[in-house]
Amino acid sequence: MNHLPFDRRSLLRGAGLGLGSLALADLLRANDGRAPHFPARAKRVIYLFQAGGPSQFETLDPKPRLRELHGQPLPDSVRAGQRLTGMSGNQAVLPLAGSFVDFVREPETGIEFSTLLPHTSKVARHLCVLRAVHTEAINHDPAITFFTSGSQVAGRPSMGAWLSYGLGSLNADLPNFVVLVSKDANRDQPLYSRLWGSGFLPSEHQGLQLRSGREPVLFLGDPAGVARSDRRAVLDALARMGRDASAREGDPEIDARLAQAELAFRMQTSVPEATDTSSESAETFDAYGPSSRDPGSFAANCLLARRLVERGVRFVQLFHQGWDQHGGLPGGISRQCEQTDRASAELVADLAQRGLLDDTLVVWGGEFGRTSYCQGKLSERMYGRDHHPRCFSLWLAGGGVRGGHVHGATDEFGYNAIEGQVSVHDLHATLLHLLGLDHERLTWFHQGRHFRLTDVAGSVVREILA
Amino acid sequence: MTAALSLLAAFALGTTPHDAGRVDFQRDVQPLLADRCFACHGPDAAKRKAELRLDLEESARDVVDGGAKAELAQRILSDDPRHVMPPPSLKRPLDERERATLLAWLEQGAPYARHWAFVAPQRAPIPDVRDKTWPRDELDRHVLARLEALGIAPAPPASPLRLVRRLSLVLTGLPPTPEVADAFAADPSEAAYERLVDELLASPRAAEHAASVWLDLARYADTYGYQTDGDRAVWPWRDWLLRALADNVPYDVFVTKLLAGDLLENPTVEDHVATAFQRLHRMTEEGGSTPEEFRQEAIADRVGTFGTSFLGLTLDCARCHDHKYDPLPQREFYALGAMFGAIDENGLKPYALGNTVPAPFVRLVPEADRARAEELAAAVQVAERELDKALQAARERAPLAQLAPEALAVPAPVAHYSFEQLDNGRFANSVDATKPANTDRRRPEQLGTVTVGEGRVGKAVLFDGDGGLGLEGFFSGTRFDERSFSLWLRPTERNARAALVQMAGFYTQDADATGLELEIVDGHLRWSAIHLWPGSAASVRCTQPLELGRWTHVVATYDGSSRAAGLRLYVDGQTAVLEVVRDELDGPFENRAIEIGSRSRGNGFRGGAIDELRLWDAELSAHQARSVALADGVAAPADSVDRATEHYIERVDADVLAARKRLRDAQRASAAFVEAFAMLPCMRDSRWVRPTYVLRRGSYEQPDLTRPVEPGALEAVLPFDPALPRNRLGLARWLFDPGNPLTARVAVDRLWRQVFGLGMLETPENFGLQGARPTHPELFDTLAFEFANGDVEPGSAWNVRRMLRRLVLSSTFRQDSSATKARRELDPDGALHSRGPSVRLSAEMQRDSALCASGLLVERFGGPSVRPWQPEGLWNEAGQTGQYVPDLGEGAHRRSLYTYTKRTVPVPDMSVFDAGPRETCVARRGATNTPLQVLTLLNDPVFVECARALAVRATREVTDVAARLERAFRLVATRVPTDEERAALAELVASETARYSTNPADALALCGAEDAELAALTLACSVILSSDEARNVR
Repeated sequence: MNHLPFDRRSLLRGAGLGLGSLALADLLRANDGRAPHFPARAKRVIYLFQAGGPSQFETLDPKPRLRELHGQPLPDSVRAGQRLTGMSGNQAVLPLAGSFVDFVREPETGIEFSTLLPHTSKVARHLCVLRAVHTEAINHDPAITFFTSGSQVAGRPSMGAWLSYGLGSLNADLPNFVVLVSKDANRDQPLYSRLWGSGFLPSEHQGLQLRSGREPVLFLGDPAGVARSDRRAVLDALARMGRDASAREGDPEIDARLAQAELAFRMQTSVPEATDTSSESAETFDAYGPSSRDPGSFAANCLLARRLVERGVRFVQLFHQGWDQHGGLPGGISRQCEQTDRASAELVADLAQRGLLDDTLVVWGGEFGRTSYCQGKLSERMYGRDHHPRCFSLWLAGGGVRGGHVHGATDEFGYNAIEGQVSVHDLHATLLHLLGLDHERLTWFHQGRHFRLTDVAGSVVREILA
Repeated sequence: MTAALSLLAAFALGTTPHDAGRVDFQRDVQPLLADRCFACHGPDAAKRKAELRLDLEESARDVVDGGAKAELAQRILSDDPRHVMPPPSLKRPLDERERATLLAWLEQGAPYARHWAFVAPQRAPIPDVRDKTWPRDELDRHVLARLEALGIAPAPPASPLRLVRRLSLVLTGLPPTPEVADAFAADPSEAAYERLVDELLASPRAAEHAASVWLDLARYADTYGYQTDGDRAVWPWRDWLLRALADNVPYDVFVTKLLAGDLLENPTVEDHVATAFQRLHRMTEEGGSTPEEFRQEAIADRVGTFGTSFLGLTLDCARCHDHKYDPLPQREFYALGAMFGAIDENGLKPYALGNTVPAPFVRLVPEADRARAEELAAAVQVAERELDKALQAARERAPLAQLAPEALAVPAPVAHYSFEQLDNGRFANSVDATKPANTDRRRPEQLGTVTVGEGRVGKAVLFDGDGGLGLEGFFSGTRFDERSFSLWLRPTERNARAALVQMAGFYTQDADATGLELEIVDGHLRWSAIHLWPGSAASVRCTQPLELGRWTHVVATYDGSSRAAGLRLYVDGQTAVLEVVRDELDGPFENRAIEIGSRSRGNGFRGGAIDELRLWDAELSAHQARSVALADGVAAPADSVDRATEHYIERVDADVLAARKRLRDAQRASAAFVEAFAMLPCMRDSRWVRPTYVLRRGSYEQPDLTRPVEPGALEAVLPFDPALPRNRLGLARWLFDPGNPLTARVAVDRLWRQVFGLGMLETPENFGLQGARPTHPELFDTLAFEFANGDVEPGSAWNVRRMLRRLVLSSTFRQDSSATKARRELDPDGALHSRGPSVRLSAEMQRDSALCASGLLVERFGGPSVRPWQPEGLWNEAGQTGQYVPDLGEGAHRRSLYTYTKRTVPVPDMSVFDAGPRETCVARRGATNTPLQVLTLLNDPVFVECARALAVRATREVTDVAARLERAFRLVATRVPTDEERAALAELVASETARYSTNPADALALCGAEDAELAALTLACSVILSSDEARNVR
C-alpha cells in the first residue's frame, strides 16, 4: 500500500469502487504527504523558464571558432541534412555568426560564462551547466509544450502537476504548484495556461498562476463590503447547512467540500502573507536588483519564489518571455540578460545562504537553443539566430546536483553534440529522481494505458548527481 | 497445490463481491493480460516477443493449457527474475490477488471469449425479479435483478420536489421554478410526470444543455489554439448543433451529417456546415512551421475525434505503432486518415491574409439569400454557354477577311523593366517612372541582395535566392481582370522551388499565397491564380521542364475567368503544353505588392536571372505572345498555327467580346454577392487528394512509401462492405451498419451518463480491452440494440429524445438519492443504481443555475459567442496577446455554452469546475472539489452579482425576512429549507443586519444600497448559492 498513489486504479477496482470522481478526490486528499519511491535529494523545485529559446552562444556555450568563421557558410557536412525551420530553412545561404560578446572563465570553477551573465558566473560553484541538451521540436509551441509536459501533444499533465500528484503537499494552506509569469518581459512569443495544466490528472494538480496585483489568486479577496468577520459568519452558516445536508444525504463528499471551504478561508490569509514581500529587508531587494521592488517583474518573482518554497510550495515555475532573437540578437539578448541575470543568481545565493539550496532544485533554461548560423541579414555586429533543437545549454543548481560542473559538449560550430547529450526526457527523469521519484513508476492510467511524464523514454543523468 | 489454488481463487473472487462465481475471462482475466502482457505479447507486431500472442487464443493455447502446470502458471509464480512474468522491467508486478485470478482461470481450462465491445449487442432476455411492482421499464428489471441478487432493496422514490428538480437539471441544465415544482408536487401523477418530461425535452433549454457534451467532443472553441490563438468565428457550427438537437434529428442522420454532410446527395449549406465538426481542431500559423507536419496533426486529430466520439476507441494509440491492447493495426489508423485527409487543405492557417478561413470552406449564405445566389450562379452558366456559342459562331465565320494589322498589335504594357542599371536600390520602369522595381520589398526580413549581370538583352537582374524586387501599385483589380507577364529567365540550379513572380503575404511559404504566382517547381514552370493555396486556387504546370543555363522566354497570361483553362503559358513564343494542377478557385485575391525572384521565408530564384520583364492589364493572345517573343529576340521556328484567326475570334470579334464581358459581369455580380457572406471551414473531398502512407513512428517526415494505404475502416470492429463508397459517407454507413458493435453502445452510454451521472461504463473514451467493463452488460446490450433498431414503436430507431425519455421515466431514475452509510457501503459510487443519481453540477450548470435563480439569465437560442465579465488582464497575465472586452449588455448573462472560449486562456469560472480548454476531443470531464471552487462561488463578481440579484428578487417578491430567505432558497434549491437551514440562514441575516446597520458604507459596497437587510440577505444568498443543494443534482 505504500505506493498507493501510483496504483490507485487497481486499488479502486479491487475495492469494487471504480474511478468515481468522489472516491478519487477523497483518496487524493487522504494521501497528501505521500512517500516518494526512495530518499529524495530535493524537496522542491524552482524552474526559471526562459521562454523563446535563449541563445547558448551568447550565454553558456562559448564558440570562438564561430568568430573566426563569421560570415562563412555552415558546412553541409556539419548540418548533415537535419531539418531546419521554415523560417531560415529556405534561405539561400546560412552564414555562421560569431558571438558579439566575450566569455570569461570563472576562476574558482573554470566554467566560462558570457559577460552578459556576470552575476550568474559568481554563483558558478553551485551551478551544473548542461551544454548538450536536445529536444525533438523545432517550433515554439510544440517545443515549450514538450519541455513542460514531456509531450508535444497538447493536453498532457505538466511537470508541476506530476510532482504535485506524486509528492503531495508540504503546506496544506498553500497551493502545491505555483506559476509566475514576468510582466516585464518582451512578449515576443505567447504562453498558454496548458503549460501548467493538469491534463488528465485531477485538476487540483494544475499550476496556480499568481497574479502580481492586489489579488494574487483569482477571487481570493472577499467582495467589497465583506469583512473577515462576515466571511467567517458566512462559512459558519455554510458549514451548519452542510452538516445538516450531510446528515440527511449521507454523502461523504459534502464533508470534503466543507473542509475545502475552510482551506479556502485559510488560503485567504496564507497566500497574501506568502506573496507580500514588504517584510523583506532593503538588503534583500538590493541583492535581487532594483526591479525586485516592482511586483510581477522577473526579479520580484524570483524573490517571491524563494518565499513560496520557504513555505512549502513544491514547485514554482517562473516564465520569462522574450528570448526569441531571430533578428537584432545583440541588443535583444543583452536586455534579456540584464533583466534576469542578477535575480537568477541571487535566488541561488539566497537559497544557499538560508540553507535551502541543498534540498531545493533550481533550473534555468528555455525550450530550445539557437542556430550557429545567422537568420536574416548578417553584418559585423548585427545578426539573428533561428531555432536550434539539436544542442543547447541550461543550468541546474542545488537539490542534489553537482555544483561547479559542466556536463556535455558541442562541436566547434555548436551545431551537434559531441558528448553528454541530455534529452528532455532525461532531464525530466533526473528531476524526478532528485525528488525521490522513479520516472517509470510515476504513472497515471488513462485511455487504457499508464502514462508517464517521460512517455516511454528517459534515463537519469547520473553524472550530474552530487 | 490445488487446495491452495482454490483458496487463492476464492480470495480473487472476493474482489468482485457483487458477482460470486467463477472467474470470468472478460471481466477478470482479460484486463490483467492486457495490462501486464499485451505490450510484448499482444497486437503490436513490432514489439512482440517470443512470437507469442496472449490476445489470440490459438497463439496462447500452448502456454495456457495444463491448469496449474501451464507455462503461464510457472512464469507468474516464478521467483527467478529472468523467468518471471511480467518481467521486473515492466515495474507493474502481479499482486497475490491478480496471480490467483490467473491461476483460477487456468484451472478452469483457460477459456477465451471475444472482447464484449467487439460483439454486436443483442436484446438480452428479460430477467426475472421478485418484486414485480417496482419496475416500470425493462431497464428497471435489469437493475433490480442485480440488486436482488446482492440482497439490496432499491431506494424509495424521491420526493416530488426532489424529482422535479433532478429532472429539470438533468434534461435542461437549469432548475425548475418553484411554481413549476409546486404544481408537480400538487399532482405528482404518472400523467403529470410524463407531461413534464415531454415539456422539458421539447424546450430549447434541453438542446442547450445537451450541446455541452458535443462541444467537448468537437473541441469547440472560439480561437485557433496553438501559439497566437487568434479569433475564429465557428459559432455557426454550434448553431447547427443546437438546431439539430432541438429538432431531435435521429442519431444516425445527425452523425452522418457531422461526418459526411458534404457527400450527401444535393447537400444544403447546413449539411456542409455540419462537417465543420471535423475542422474545429487547432491550427497553427507559427512562423517556420512545416505545413505537412500540421496537416498530419489535423488528420490524426480527426481520426482520434472520430474514434473517441463514435466508437469509444483510443485510435491515437495506433498512430505510431500497432495498438498495444486492441486489435487495431497501425495501417488502419492511416486507412481512416485517408478518409479524413481527402480534403485539399494546407496544414497551416493563413497568417498575413486578412478576413479569411482555411480552405475548404462553405459560404454561409442565409436561407433568404439562397435563391438570389442560385440565380446569379445560373446567370454565370448562361453567360458561359453564350460565350461558347459566340466563339462557335465566330469560328464558323472564319477564315476571315484580311485583318487590319493594328487589330493584332500588342497592347501597351503597364510596366517594362530592362534591368540595365541598379540605381539607388531601384531598377527603372520605362513605362512609368514612378513605379520602379525596388530592392526594398517592405517585408520583415530583408535578406540577400540582387545584382546586375549579363542579360539576354543588355543587362539582367541576378538573384541569390534571398534577395528580390518589389513592384508596387499594380493590379488593383480583381480575379475577374485580365493580366499578362512576359520575361526572359535563366535558371542555373535545379531547386525544388523557385519564386519568379508572386504576390504572397509574409511568413509562410504557401498558406499566405494570394493572387498570381509564377514559380519553378521541380524544374517545371507553374502558373497559378490563388485565393487560398491549395484549396481555393487555379493552377497549371508546363509539362516540359525548363532547361538549365539557357535563356527561356516566357509569356504568362490570365483571362480573368478564375479557371485553370484561363491560365496559359507561352514558352519561346510557342503555346506550352500544360497540365492542370488545381482548378477550384473560389475567392478573391488580396491586393499585394508583386515580388520578383524571392519569397518571404520561401525559396527564391537562387542562381537565376530575369530580363525584360513586362506587365499588362490584359490577356495577350497567342499571336500577341508570339509577337512579344519575336520582339524580344526569340528566334522563332516556323509556325503552322493560324494564330491570327484565333486572335480575331477571341480578341476582336465584337460578339465574342460582348459575350465575354457579359460573362465577367455575371461572375463579378455572383462573386460580389456570395463573397459578402462569412466562410466556415468544412469538409469537401478533393480530386487533388494526396496519397496516404503509413507514417513510420507516426512522423510526417517518414512516410513508408512501400506501404500506401487505401481509405478504409477497422476490420476488428466490422469489415468494410465493399459495396460502400470508400469515403466518409461510406464510413458513416459502416458506423450505422447493424453489425457495428460500438456505435449504439457509445451513444447510449452518453445518454445514460447525462441522466444518471455515471455511464454504463466508467471509461466512455475507451471501450477497448483496457477500458472498464460495463456495470450492467445485459441492460447495456438491450438498450443499445433497441436504440439502434427501435423498440415497440415503429420508426423509433436512433431516437435520442425517446431514449432520454425512457431513462427518466424509469423507476431507477426516480429513486431517492440519499443513502445511509450502511447502504452506501454496498454501493459506494452508485454504480449499482441502488439509489437515485447524485452528481456535482458541471461548470456550465453551476453558473447557469445561479443566473437562472437570481433572474439574471438572458435566454436567447444560438448566435455568436458572448463575452461575460472576467477579471481584467487575464489574457495578458497568461502571456497572451489580445484584449478581452466584456459585453455590457445581455452578453453578460447568457448561458455558459455561449461564452467565448479562448483555448490558451480558458475562462476561470469554467475551468475551476473542470471544464476543459477544448484543445482536443474529450468524452469525460473530471468532477473535483477544490478550495478555488469555494473562492469562486463566494467571491467571483459573477456569483456575487447573482447573490445580490437573488436577494433583490426575493426582497421584491415577498415581504418579511423569513419569507425572503425561503423564496431565495427555493429559487435555487427548489425544495423548502429544513428547520436547521432556516435557522442557519435566519441567524446569519439577523447578525449581519445588525452589523451592516452600523456600517452602511459596507452595505452600499456589497449590495449597492445602504440597506443593511439587503446586504445581509446578499450574504445569505451567497451561502445558498454555495450550498450542497446548489452544487449537486440530488
